Amino acid sequence: MQSVHSELPSHQAAVTSSSMTNKIDHSQLCQWLKSIAVDRDKQAFTGVFKFFAPKIQRIAQSKLNNEALAAEVLQDTMSNVWRKAHLFDDSKGAATTWVYTIMRNVTFDLLRKMKANKEDNLSDDIWPLAEALNTEDDSFSDHIQSRNLLGVIETLPENQQQVVKGFYFMEMSQEQLAVHLNLPLGTIKSRLRLALGKLKLKLGEHHD
Amino acid sequence: MIKHHPTFSMLQNFVDGDLPASLAAGVAMHAGMCPMCQQKIIQLTEQVAEANFEESSDLDLFTNDADMKTAELDFDDIIGEITASDDVEPMKAASIERSVSFKGTQYVLPNVLRNMSLGKTAQIGKLSRARILLDEGEIHTNLLHIGAGGSIPEHTHKGFELTLLLAGTFADEQGEYVPGDFIMLDKRHQHQPATELGCLCYTVANDALHFTQGINKLLNPIGSFIY
Repeated sequence: MQSVHSELPSHQAAVTSSSMTNKIDHSQLCQWLKSIAVDRDKQAFTGVFKFFAPKIQRIAQSKLNNEALAAEVLQDTMSNVWRKAHLFDDSKGAATTWVYTIMRNVTFDLLRKMKANKEDNLSDDIWPLAEALNTEDDSFSDHIQSRNLLGVIETLPENQQQVVKGFYFMEMSQEQLAVHLNLPLGTIKSRLRLALGKLKLKLGEHHD
Repeated sequence: MIKHHPTFSMLQNFVDGDLPASLAAGVAMHAGMCPMCQQKIIQLTEQVAEANFEESSDLDLFTNDADMKTAELDFDDIIGEITASDDVEPMKAASIERSVSFKGTQYVLPNVLRNMSLGKTAQIGKLSRARILLDEGEIHTNLLHIGAGGSIPEHTHKGFELTLLLAGTFADEQGEYVPGDFIMLDKRHQHQPATELGCLCYTVANDALHFTQGINKLLNPIGSFIY
């Protein structure tokens, strides 16, 4: 198993100088993640992919020393980015930190599967990714942001509000909402899509 | 107040994903109770992420033009495959609390442990032990409960022993310990923790059992019991 004694491998990654920050266009990455979340924007995903993929591949290759496994890490990490973009919250940290967390978790579970032959996927319990909307004791700025968002949500038609609030604030799945509201799943999905489209327009007005 | 924390290099290994699940879970549970370490972890994660994803010139050393072209082609395939699905991850359902009971006392487990399998509880006197089944070879992980007035006889380990106090308090020659205290001992240390009112600990040890098993078993059954 991994080394746990005090003679640890050196970490050149531990200290970064501020000049490195300039090399990454953080606001562009955030913008892309938001477009993926709101529009399922494939162009934006391609942007995110082209930025991260070569680096993920290189990091995974050097950590796992196996091309097939490195490819698996890349595939899993990026498909999590596509599926979980709506969980990204730029008030909680940089896009790079968010993607790093996903990559580290995917790699950890994969290594555990190889070494201990366990498919228990513990990484999300050890390094939770999406506590943002689940916890009440969030940071101050977060309350402000969700209050703004709530104001905008309340301008939506009632039937779309129900779906958005249920999905994003009450942690219900689309399936649970369909049962709860006694509507077909397709209706839930289309209301959610419509609502997100409108929200994007309205939030865009303030942000641009 | 929590006085015992993971070392800086252990936090780095935690952030890098290089600790075994047992120790990573220990650090995560400690950070859940220790805002100071939580903050350090957040900062380290940011720095490591930034360093990992910065544009680096040594990328060019690894890839020549031909490699880049094949990589680009593959990338387009992967992008197409991933974006073909329109599923999104649902919000996590509110986490279900998991609790365990030792000697009639009910303990709610930290979220970090909620999906780990527990073995049956074994008992010797005031000690109760439930194995956490992580399958990490010689690294053994347990929930260890010491009943009120109980103690662990003086012992040492060939390897390391992590004790993370989850609930209650105990004391040894070094003083009192409170929930969240992260106590990492190695073979240089000896200790004899005792608890007045009972306590629950998360323990991880990698004692080299094959080395000392025979003698250990004869002289010190408690030693192998808590390993």
